[in-house]
Amino acid sequence: MPDFAISTEHLTRRFGGLTAVDDIHLQVAAGQFFGFLGPNGAGKSTTIKMLTGLLAPSSGRIELLGLDFASHAVEVKRQIGVVPEGMGLFERLTGAEYLHFVGQMYGLDRATTQQRSAELLEFMQLAGRPKTLIADYSHGMQKKLALAAAVIHGPRILFLDEPFEGVDALAAGALKALLGRMTARGVTIFLTSHVLEIVERLCSHVAIIDKGRLVAQGSLEELRAGVAVGEAGSATLEQIFLSTVGQDGERQPQFEELTWLT
Amino acid sequence: MADLIRVPGVAAQIRLVAGLRWRILRNGLRRKSNRLDLIGMILAGIFAAFLIFGVSTGFFAGTRYVLTKDHASWIAFLFWAIFLCWQVFPVLVAGFGAAFEFRTLLRFPLSLRAFYLIGLAYGFAELSAVAGTCWIVAMLLSAALVRPSVLPLMTAIAGLFLLLNVTLERLLASWIERLFARRRTREVFLGLFVLAMICVQFIGPLLNRYGEALRRFASHLLIYLAPFPPSLAGRAISDFLQEDWAGVLGSFAGLLGFAAALSFLLWLRFSAQYRGEELSETSAPVPQRPRARQESSGAFVLDRLSPQAGAIVRKELCYLLRNGFALLSLLFPPVLVLLFSSPFAGSRREPFRHGLSPAMLFPAMMAYIVFILITPAYNCFAFESRGIQTYFTAPLRFRHVFLAKNLVLALVLIFDLSLCIAVFAFSAGLPSLPQFIATLVAIVFAVAGQFAIANWSSLCFPRKLVFGQMRNQRQSGMAVLIAFGVQIVFAGVGAVILFAGRWTQDAWLPAEVFAMLSVAAVLGYFASLDSLSELAERKKEALIETLCR
Repeated sequence: MPDFAISTEHLTRRFGGLTAVDDIHLQVAAGQFFGFLGPNGAGKSTTIKMLTGLLAPSSGRIELLGLDFASHAVEVKRQIGVVPEGMGLFERLTGAEYLHFVGQMYGLDRATTQQRSAELLEFMQLAGRPKTLIADYSHGMQKKLALAAAVIHGPRILFLDEPFEGVDALAAGALKALLGRMTARGVTIFLTSHVLEIVERLCSHVAIIDKGRLVAQGSLEELRAGVAVGEAGSATLEQIFLSTVGQDGERQPQFEELTWLT
Repeated sequence: MADLIRVPGVAAQIRLVAGLRWRILRNGLRRKSNRLDLIGMILAGIFAAFLIFGVSTGFFAGTRYVLTKDHASWIAFLFWAIFLCWQVFPVLVAGFGAAFEFRTLLRFPLSLRAFYLIGLAYGFAELSAVAGTCWIVAMLLSAALVRPSVLPLMTAIAGLFLLLNVTLERLLASWIERLFARRRTREVFLGLFVLAMICVQFIGPLLNRYGEALRRFASHLLIYLAPFPPSLAGRAISDFLQEDWAGVLGSFAGLLGFAAALSFLLWLRFSAQYRGEELSETSAPVPQRPRARQESSGAFVLDRLSPQAGAIVRKELCYLLRNGFALLSLLFPPVLVLLFSSPFAGSRREPFRHGLSPAMLFPAMMAYIVFILITPAYNCFAFESRGIQTYFTAPLRFRHVFLAKNLVLALVLIFDLSLCIAVFAFSAGLPSLPQFIATLVAIVFAVAGQFAIANWSSLCFPRKLVFGQMRNQRQSGMAVLIAFGVQIVFAGVGAVILFAGRWTQDAWLPAEVFAMLSVAAVLGYFASLDSLSELAERKKEALIETLCR
């Protein structure tokens, strides 16, 4: 059993003159519910794309489940599930057809694929519209389907890019419970979200990226310990986040310029 | 705060929208492809200007003729020509081109009157409206030279006719927008459009055969067209020349009535849009009983593939069956074969009568069909959209993706070519056995050879296309160029080999040469798959970026 489910060394990605991800060392232990945070344009999506094989790093190394991604891409991909940015759905298939397709892409036999598809569609409350094309699904339904597709093969690592965006409260509650059970069984979940309350409630460990560099990493308790809150009590994730990336003067809101509004 | 807000006037709002469109165009030029599009638009604009000017001279001459030769009643034909062009052309191109979404303006404080006038003003910016206006101006100029006395009335009628046309065109556009809001309608329309284009091919033969009867039918039809605006406009002018003032007044009133009625209907349509008409695609969920689904046990061919390739083949077949345009394009080749081979049928079957013998027509026809059907392979990820990411996150080598996609296209080719051969055999008869075999083997050579190049082109020059949508739907220019170039080369090689067979009087020589080339092409195809897999890894970012845009 490897020490870390996800491990990167000097992970860097440049787009021309812009360094979107700069020399990142990320370490996520197996079974962790890991939150990956950062302001807009900080490099979260670029990192998750590199970790899931959608983007090649400019330099550095990615190791998932003890395997080097570059040299064992197919083997690694077999053990991970992804809800990428934009969800990556084939919109001209029905939900069931898409899950069959994904199941077989991950090498499941037909009977297993069929059984798991039916169960997942039921769980995600998508079974009521079997003939509807994904193109005609609402955003929330597409998100639920993308989540179902990401877990159909029982991955050991799950990468989720804004998984609850657009999902109704009922389904979100069920999903959170499902993800909690998965981590209890040893699945590692790597999640990005702008909703800090969700991350705080679900994740045991967090990393914060800003301007391409990793500025904080550790358990919530470790991060809380590093933040001074005036009064007694522990800092919230929002306070941790703001104290880590919000100290930049440029990011402080200048209300005096909006007197006509405020 | 709110007391500082002043709602701008209608003219200012029109100016603002014009400025917005200009900035959209200017910012679009930051992309290289859009800059190339602009060059294309300029060239097309120059061509259109020449065309409009040329036709304007025709209208000028036509008006001069009818006014000088005392055929004033014929002027209605000129109005009909303008009317049909103005109304039909925008309907035909409704799905093409970048249409400006007026409804997005509704979130701004825009009065209904301004919304109506902006809609009408932009109606005059349509190509057909510009052309129609130019032609009417040409008619007025001609009338001013030949019969100055008719000019005041003709100007008034022309003004009313312009207003009427632009109002009707906007009204039709608004109804079309309402219809096209639904994906299914767009797809059906696209299918009908393709079918109509196929039917156009038959106009020539039909006119040749039933020309006289059609002319008689058209003359009967003309009587029923009299109460419509173009006829009314024409009759007002001819009545004026015959000094039938009651007739002039009646026709003018008729035109006014049409203009008022259409304006009222357009006002109603725009009012509905202004109130926030719902054109949403998503319908309310309809409870459906889940049906137990059995996978077809006849899919034994797919079972022989890797699970990934099998899954992709199934997905491609689903996509094919749900793509009305692709399905209709499968009907196109047999229809073409029927059309081109029928002159060689029966008693008229004489070699070289049409410059091409039936024996040479068969390979030429098959080459043309392959050319039509294989072109989509040069941009084979066009419809994947965001789904392309799945191919890179799933545990598979990209060769499976190509294998599956090429297999589906090969099946389509086999199906369509079989139909075409059957149609050809029925209408013109099959060529000699050596030539038949040579053609079949040449197809294998051309298809296998092209698949390798087409796969490379799909990775290097991808372009996203959207199902059931015609707007902005163009293949990658480079992919089209490569497809043309490659097919010209393959056709050239094939022609040389076929003529070599004729020249050497060895009937089986082409079949033997094509067989050797086919083996080489098939081996080359399989050898290319691994390097293409590596290329896919290198090109994945550009591919994902293009298709997920």
